[in-house]
Formats: sequence, structure tokens, C-alpha cells
Amino acid sequence: MKRLALPLILSTALAVAALAKQATTNDEVDARQQALKLAGGFGNDGFKLRDGNWAGTLAPGKPLLLQVNLYAGNQYWFTVGAAHGGKKLAVSVYDETGKPLETSPYQDDSVAAAGFAPQASGPYYVKVEVLDGGPTAYCLIYSYK
Amino acid sequence: MIPILRRLACGCALLVLCASAAGDTPLTPADIAGAAITDEISIPMPGEFMAALNKLSRLNWKSKFRPPVFTNFSSRAQLALNLGGLIADGYVAIEAEDGPQVKNIGKDVLAIARPLGVSKDVQDRGNSLANFAETAHWDELKEELEATQNEVKAAMVEHKDQDLVTLVTVGGWLRAMEVVSGQVAMEYSAPGAKLLRQPGIAAFLIKRLDEMSEKVREEPTVRDVRKKMTDINKIIAFPLDTAPSAEDVKALNALSAEAVKEISKKPTK
Repeated sequence: MKRLALPLILSTALAVAALAKQATTNDEVDARQQALKLAGGFGNDGFKLRDGNWAGTLAPGKPLLLQVNLYAGNQYWFTVGAAHGGKKLAVSVYDETGKPLETSPYQDDSVAAAGFAPQASGPYYVKVEVLDGGPTAYCLIYSYK
Repeated sequence: MIPILRRLACGCALLVLCASAAGDTPLTPADIAGAAITDEISIPMPGEFMAALNKLSRLNWKSKFRPPVFTNFSSRAQLALNLGGLIADGYVAIEAEDGPQVKNIGKDVLAIARPLGVSKDVQDRGNSLANFAETAHWDELKEELEATQNEVKAAMVEHKDQDLVTLVTVGGWLRAMEVVSGQVAMEYSAPGAKLLRQPGIAAFLIKRLDEMSEKVREEPTVRDVRKKMTDINKIIAFPLDTAPSAEDVKALNALSAEAVKEISKKPTK
């Protein structure tokens, strides 16, 4: 039991340290915590969480795009969180030509996610937007398996 | 907690059962040109590349190990390139589920981090890697390895060593490319060859290499890596829905292997 507990304690401590180190503002830390709460659950289904994140400020009507590089055969979850409550967010995925792709969407208060399994390896674009609510700090993370 | 898990279970089921359309207008070329691309999240970790390869065939990951690398370089650029390569080696060791190998690589990471001035930042991570390896927590190890790399990069940014951040990424990407292309070359298949398509990444990394200070850019190892990356990009930027030939994959493997060899080459006195 002790052998199992040590890595878990270390992992949690280091995750908290990383959280504080990576997020640049308190609101981004809050947004990342929201995203992690949701994405953490995907780990139960074998998804491994990327340590990096993409954070900043998101304004209504001004979606933001991020290029990612994905591999055919893998499955991905892109999860975005917003600081504080009361925001409706959306995540969508596009191929390299800009065509919208089918995803498994998930939405809740101040979090949203899109599940996606690419058929081809290469660049893709992930769009995050606020559908309802004012400007907010956001944080996007992703998991794969 | 239970409602969250229930919602997540529904979400995971959705991924498999009933994907829904984005119902969105296509992106414009201007949208695409304005998309953010970051070292931290746009560049996949070697573990993602290897996870995709694992789905194609059962691999003997231990056969992908390489002899221990020299860690006593005087060039900081070469140290950074080798640090990235070692992180990729860590993923190979995790895929092979070889605890002692993970621990050896962790020690080499620390040995290289020391002269780079970032060992304090990775000391705890090194201990954590060793603990996860001892208890065979392979999934946690993958996340920890990426966290180690990000910790090193964050320390480099703090020390205003942005060039080194790029070199860590390049070193890791090249070593992963060597391993994956080597496997695809050995057991060629079109789906395997299609995995090697990564036009955005090589172009992004070449651009970053070009933006480095002249002093770093002109180091012989960096110059050689820059040239090999350009040649590699010509092979991996193939059109969607086509696969590179077996000969192309062999050429890609030779280029990436030569680059890794050059990076880990002991300096001559």
C-alpha cells in the first residue's frame, strides 16, 4: 500500500506545483482547475493528460484557434475551462483545410470538451469560444489514448 | 463526485457511439493563418506518436533502446538537444515497461540538466520518475516525463534561454522520428507510413531554429540538425490520403538516425 501511496502523493504534490507554475494569472489557474476537474475523469477511461496548456482571455464573439498535430488511430479529448462560473463555452475541431469535423461535444457550467478520433495524421485546428457570458480567462488542455 | 463521473462516462460513450456534427462554418484562410501554435501544446509529445504506432502492431520496444549517451558536453546547445533525445528515450523505456531503463534515463536527464543550470528544477521530478518506475505506474510515468520536460523548459525560459527550449523539442522530436520511422521501415505498411505525416511540426521547428541567436545557429551540430530537418520535412510533408513509399520511409529513418547520431557524438579534442 505504501508503495502505491508514495507515487500518488508525489504526483499530486507535483501536479499542484506545476499548476501554480504554468498558469500566469489567478483567473487562468481557476480556469485550468475547471478544465482539469473534467479532463481528470477521462483518465479513468485510459486517456493520458498532456502537461501543457493554452491559456489566455476569451471574449464573446471572438473565438480563438489553436493548431495541434494529431495522429490517426489515437483518440483525443480537448477540454476548456473558464474562470469562475456562469459561462457557456464550446470547443470544435477543424481539419487542415478548415472543414468542421464531427466530434463528441460536452458542455457544462464554464467547461466544455470535444472528443475526436482523427482518420488521418497531420495538423488540425481547435476552436474555443464563449457562447454565453462575458469575457473570461480560459485554459485548454488535452488528453489522448 | 458521482454525478461528475456519470457525466464523464456519458461523454466517453458519446465518443464511441454518437459523434455529432460541429454544425459550424468552415474556417477561412485568414482564420487558419491566425491560429496560435505553441511549443507547449501544438507539438505532440513522443508518447503520442508511439501510442499511435502501438495500435498498428505489437512492438518489441526494448529493441529500440540505444546505448547510454555521452552526457558531458561543453556545448549548451548540444546538451539541450541530447536532453530532448533522452526524454524520447524515456517514452521508449516506458512503452517497454522497463523500470531500470527508465531510472537510468532519469539519471542521465539529471546529469545533463546540471551543466544547463536546471537540475534543481528537475531533482524532484527525477525522484518521482524513479518511484513511478519502481511501482510500474506506466501511465503516470508518461505524464511525469512530459512534466519533467516542461519543468526544464520553464526553467530555461526563466534563465532567458529560449533557444535551448527549441533545441530540447527538436532533439526529442528527432529521436521519436528515428524510432517510429525505423519501425515503419522494418515492417512497412501504408497506414504506418501515413503516421509519419507531420508537415506543420517540422516547418514550425525549422522556423524556430532560424530565429535562434546566430551564435547558437552557427554551432556545427545545430547547423547539421537544421539541414537534416529541412530534408526530413520534404519527406514528411506528403499530401493527405497518400502514403510515402518504403524507400521514402527508409530515407526518412536514415536522416533522423544520422541527426540523432550527430547530436550525441562526443566532441573531438
